[in-house]
Amino acid sequence: MKLMSSILALASLALVAPALSQALPDLGGRTIVAVTENAYTPLNFADPKTGEGIGWEYDAFNEIAKRLNAKVEWKLSSWDVMIQSVRDGQYDVGMDGITINDERKAQVDFSDAYMVSQQYMLVRTGDTEITGPESFAANPELLIGAQAGTTNFYVAVYEVLDGDEANPRIKLFDTFGASVQALKSGDVDMVLMDQTSANGYIGANPDTFKVVGGPLGTEEFGFIFKPGSDLVAPINAALKSMKDDGTIDALNTKWLYEYNAQQ
Amino acid sequence: MPHSPPSSKRPEIPFWLLAIVLLGVLTLWSLVADQGYAQIFRALSGGVATTLWVTVVAFSLAIVLGLLVAMARTSGIRILRELATFYTELVRGIPILVFLFYIAFVGAPFMVEVGNIFLAPLQDWAGLKPLTVRNFDLTWRAIIALMICYSAFLSEIFRAGIEAVDRGQIEAAQALGLSRWNTFRHIVFPQAFRTILPPLGNDFIAMIKDSALVSALGVQDITQLGKVYSSGTFKFFETYNVVAFLYLTMTISLSLIVRSIEKRMNRNRY
Repeated sequence: MKLMSSILALASLALVAPALSQALPDLGGRTIVAVTENAYTPLNFADPKTGEGIGWEYDAFNEIAKRLNAKVEWKLSSWDVMIQSVRDGQYDVGMDGITINDERKAQVDFSDAYMVSQQYMLVRTGDTEITGPESFAANPELLIGAQAGTTNFYVAVYEVLDGDEANPRIKLFDTFGASVQALKSGDVDMVLMDQTSANGYIGANPDTFKVVGGPLGTEEFGFIFKPGSDLVAPINAALKSMKDDGTIDALNTKWLYEYNAQQ
Repeated sequence: MPHSPPSSKRPEIPFWLLAIVLLGVLTLWSLVADQGYAQIFRALSGGVATTLWVTVVAFSLAIVLGLLVAMARTSGIRILRELATFYTELVRGIPILVFLFYIAFVGAPFMVEVGNIFLAPLQDWAGLKPLTVRNFDLTWRAIIALMICYSAFLSEIFRAGIEAVDRGQIEAAQALGLSRWNTFRHIVFPQAFRTILPPLGNDFIAMIKDSALVSALGVQDITQLGKVYSSGTFKFFETYNVVAFLYLTMTISLSLIVRSIEKRMNRNRY
């Protein structure tokens, strides 16, 4: 039923889309060099079977380019250097679930938000004591694993703990996988992540992890551009048309709810 | 010259090597038998070529640069000696990861700018656009950073090798009327080479390991592919087992080769 309705939604899109795209700017076949890392399931990641880059951001940006009559040349980089290399003009646009904030706005231009991220608390199955952010914050023995400067770090600081970014209850790890491994081995007691990642880790490690409490955090993700880029306005226009006609909702259904990394 | 273990005694069985081989065989077995591991192996095997390519190119360039620096350090001209020492001390004092970021985002834009100044007349003549940072691939920036870091280490190995050659031989060569270059080419270098080869091999192995740092720039080597694969499948434990296996296969087999070369060279020593 779900599948049928998404097929119908996509089919109706195909009929409506050409009419809407009339109003959008035409980039005249220009090539946009886009960069991501392929390390943020389900936004951008390598298909385990083929190694091809797939995910929400690939689908969304390819659609944006199609509506603007542009081609996309996909490049891979690492998150550590992405903002700096977009700022240098190495790539036209960067995307990696990048949270829009003022510090980054001083470095690069952002598009409008294309996604509001919601974070869930992943804990070990045996932990009955943790039921939500309040019970977690109440016990000073409990530790959080996070990556410095990422969404899960900020949500941990401002929505679970006391708003102190230097709080020693947050242990920092280099990659997301490393903080989950630390949760498994007992170095930390909770890791924040989006719904798809939580489902992925629970599927890959049965009887090890569970999700507790409701969604947290209202981080907004945006595409990043070199300061002063002429692509911001057309991409915002295309993004708006995709929000209006339901394409974004269809992508959310496809990647955030229906995609299962273990299949 | 003192002999290490007397050759009349029966050689000890290297149990450490047997243990490593056993571990390798067990891992290899799971790579073949286990579907999950086989898939990880296929996904990461593309990175082996990148890791080797980055290592081999950066190391070869580092040898050339390191040799030049070592020759400058042992030269009779004071300014060359001072410059070479300045370079070695500066580069050796910076962590490789910091150097990678430095070359990628400070060095590379600077090189592009300097390149444009020199190429400007040619670009005007041919009607070409000036270079941008985009023309400078991140893989090459990583290779240049590794090359510079290792040239400083290697120059020290070369210098030690050159200085280990008996002074009297150089004096004899000069007395026979050989030029400085010919003395280096025919007298110093062949003897220094013997001292240099084993530590050079060890540094090559070290560079295979250090090449994992280029994953920080997004170069698609074994480490970066491991990071990407584990974040897509959430199989962190299994993926890094395979990553470690791939590195160990390369480093241990090379280290065995270096050992046997070392042994052969000691045997031929007079």
